[in-house]
Amino acid sequence: MPASSSALSDGPHRVTDQLRRPLAHPRLGVDLATTLDIVGAVLKWFSTAFAAPAVVALIAGESPWPFVLAGVAALAAGLGLDRLVADRDSEPLGPREGFLMIALVWLLVPAFGALPFLLSGADQLARPVDAYFEAVSGFTATGATVLDNVESLGQGLLFWRQLSHWLGGMGIIVLAIAVLPRLRVGGRHLLQRELPGPTEIERLGATVRETARRLWKLYVGMTVVGILLLAGTGWLGLDPRMSLFDAFAHATSAVSLGGFSTQAESAGAFAPITQWILIGLMVVAGVNFLRLYRLIVLREVRAVSRDEELRLYLALLLIGTAIVASELFSSGAVHGFAGVRHAAFQTVSVMTTTGFATLDWTTWGALATLTLLLLMFVGASAGSTGGSIKVVRHLMLFRLARRELEIAVHREVVMPVRVSRVTIDEGALRSAVMFVLLYLTVFAVGSLARVIDARRVGGELGAFEALGAAAACLGNVGPGFGIAGPFGSYSSFSDLSTVLLSALMWLGRLEIVPVAVLLTRTFWRA
Amino acid sequence: MRVVVVGAGRVGRAAVESLHEEHECTVIDSDPARLQAMSQSFDVHVVEGNGAGREALQTAGVGDAELLLACTSRDEANLVTAMLARRLSRARTVVRTTDMDYLEAWREGDLDVDFMVSTELETANAVSRVVGVPGTRQTDFFFDGEIQVLEFDLPRNAQLPFCGRPLAQAALPTDSRVVAIIRDRRRLVPGPQESLLPGDRVIVVASRHAARAWSRLLMQGERVINDVALFGGGRVGTAITRVLLDREIRVRLIEADAERARRLAESFSGARVYHATGFEPEFLRRERIVGATAAVFAMRDRTRNLYAAVLAKVHGVPFTIAVLEQPGDADVFDAAGVDSTINPPAETAEVMVRFAHDPRTRQIAMFEDDRFEVLDITVRPESPFAHRRLSDLPPTTSTIGALVRDGHALFPEADLTIEPGDRVIVMVEAERAGVVERAL
Repeated sequence: MPASSSALSDGPHRVTDQLRRPLAHPRLGVDLATTLDIVGAVLKWFSTAFAAPAVVALIAGESPWPFVLAGVAALAAGLGLDRLVADRDSEPLGPREGFLMIALVWLLVPAFGALPFLLSGADQLARPVDAYFEAVSGFTATGATVLDNVESLGQGLLFWRQLSHWLGGMGIIVLAIAVLPRLRVGGRHLLQRELPGPTEIERLGATVRETARRLWKLYVGMTVVGILLLAGTGWLGLDPRMSLFDAFAHATSAVSLGGFSTQAESAGAFAPITQWILIGLMVVAGVNFLRLYRLIVLREVRAVSRDEELRLYLALLLIGTAIVASELFSSGAVHGFAGVRHAAFQTVSVMTTTGFATLDWTTWGALATLTLLLLMFVGASAGSTGGSIKVVRHLMLFRLARRELEIAVHREVVMPVRVSRVTIDEGALRSAVMFVLLYLTVFAVGSLARVIDARRVGGELGAFEALGAAAACLGNVGPGFGIAGPFGSYSSFSDLSTVLLSALMWLGRLEIVPVAVLLTRTFWRA
Repeated sequence: MRVVVVGAGRVGRAAVESLHEEHECTVIDSDPARLQAMSQSFDVHVVEGNGAGREALQTAGVGDAELLLACTSRDEANLVTAMLARRLSRARTVVRTTDMDYLEAWREGDLDVDFMVSTELETANAVSRVVGVPGTRQTDFFFDGEIQVLEFDLPRNAQLPFCGRPLAQAALPTDSRVVAIIRDRRRLVPGPQESLLPGDRVIVVASRHAARAWSRLLMQGERVINDVALFGGGRVGTAITRVLLDREIRVRLIEADAERARRLAESFSGARVYHATGFEPEFLRRERIVGATAAVFAMRDRTRNLYAAVLAKVHGVPFTIAVLEQPGDADVFDAAGVDSTINPPAETAEVMVRFAHDPRTRQIAMFEDDRFEVLDITVRPESPFAHRRLSDLPPTTSTIGALVRDGHALFPEADLTIEPGDRVIVMVEAERAGVVERAL
């Protein structure tokens, strides 16, 4: 039924209603107006973030205008969306609007975040696709870079890259839930969606808004501790290269499990003590923040000591370190205690999907590189800032497999799948299976597309490199193998590949589902 | 003693059955048909009305009553009845509940009732006791299990060394005493010249050690039950599972309802749960249910229980226990070869009616539909039996099975004397329980 006829037949007040809802269509199942209203509100708030790099640029004697202009653009876009759809504060935010809003926010925020890169006229980020890639990599806390020479960037831009990690790590929307009164209704769904991995937000025993605030407080607290620890090594003379700026840069990057560094050699530029501190920060940031909150703030030791995900997470870190170390020691690449540090650092960095490096792992033997590639599929814990599949999903799938094997023999047996003594409901199991399937599908398509595109532009790309780039971007790890290794960059990739990998990072951060549902026809139908 | 019984259901009926001869009972229920059935069977007053209401309680004369038993199947109604009785009279209150949370609250002193009893838990404990002494029909624990009262049938086909010999000369397990022999539904007083015959139903008071010896004789070999197949996961089945798992017995639970099976599997990580009817021989074989050392049938439907029990028996489960729906079903299950039957209302009433007895009576166990009772009574100093040797006591229908003195269990020998303060474990005919209590 056409919109006009229904409006006419329903009388005059229906006409005005239609006028106030220009984006509503009778056959459209998604409330676009409400969605855009909230996206606008998030953008308005996001625009304030540009003030920080502008101040840093001023202090460093650089031009603050790229940041000011980008901030104004974001504010204008936010206000524009607000104006466009009038006041829709009373509309509840349903699941469909939630999915669409998350997908849009994570597309638009990097778009405005890329503006300072373009406006500053830095040669390495002059092409819009490169600038957008860098911004997506920043906000998704991936850490993949197109910069060949990171140290030539101004302080303002370097600061902005690190800040984008930090804002995106815990989640812009989690922050929005904490501050926007508008998101009180429907916020639970959003929080569940944006916190990576399947995790129980109820357990913090507070309102959604309070939960979001507590998460951010813990996140800020951890960052401050990280900055103090790192800056302390500089002040005490343990690491002469560690300035306050670098302490901020690396603490934010480690806590958000991002991977951007201000140094071309990444963490390799710093002293061993600094590298150990970074290992510690990454390991802690890779734990479920809800559990961390219970342990640190509520002092509930049992909430953590009984957590099977945490145990498996730590065990996998140890096993990974042992395998990598055995390869490194046997090949003679490293010696003594420093070797243990290097093995632990790369293992922790890759499995938690951070992407720091102290050595170029690209040159290592097959056992170590394959281990790192596989660890890219493990990821950190659910409810942390890390990407990839997450430890708890592996745990759930293994328990599911054990149950199915049991049923293969004992047809009538009823066996709930338990993780940490809690029964996982069948819906959560189904969505874990579906997620892993989608994840591997996107990974397969992404790596194939990468190879095809490399062939198209006339280059030859090794299979391992193609797999590495797709896994590193989809898993929000950052550096892959070959030219895109930890000390290399993605700058030599074609525009198409750059866009493809940006999309993988976006999909990886959103855990695919909010994007995948947009592709179903019934999502849009009334 | 004036006793008010609220609820004329199966538990109420079982309580009245054991109380009506000695005490003045008034039964309250809202269903006239059930009241009529009650007054036809027993000499009791009946009051039609809401037992959780003041009016009915006052009409029933709760003000003069010494004991109130709230035994409807509704927990909250029972609790309200007890609360009202607390205000309206000085009667002691006994409340039946199905909810373990209420039981817990009462144990911690948060519910103002004198005693709380759960049918499900009493049934589960009864199953657990029988499982502990396989081969018996019923087992009751006295003195924390140091003294056990066993009821069993002597197998007709087995060659037991003591059968046919006078009790005085038969080599029975030491520290045990035969207190009743039931032959052709008639009770024989087990004097020294009486002898046990195959097919007799026997009640024995035994020490913990002797109970195991009896079990070995009856099961014809050493057999400990450590693997139970439980059919039916309703409230009773859930309670049985919990009690057996606590005793570290392996439990395999068979439940026909998918949703219930799922919930059971979630709440018991120690038990293995199957979604099956239990009626397919192929399932029993495939899952090695037939290899279980015991099977317990606690489904909601007696025909299902009977069918599944016979099927299990046919396929060679050595020991079967059925939870009865109706007390009268015991004969049918007996005839079908089921080894033990547990009667939930009787188990509940057994605990409830203790309060109608002399306060010196610590515990009561009922046998044969409450035709016989085993009492645990403390002897008062002025008792005519004090300082008398057991062999000098006049012959009566009551039989002393054991004494507890200074924290030790003593089993009757000819020169053993009864001292004031002793606890006497004595087998009586139910209608003579009051006489024996007064005498001791």
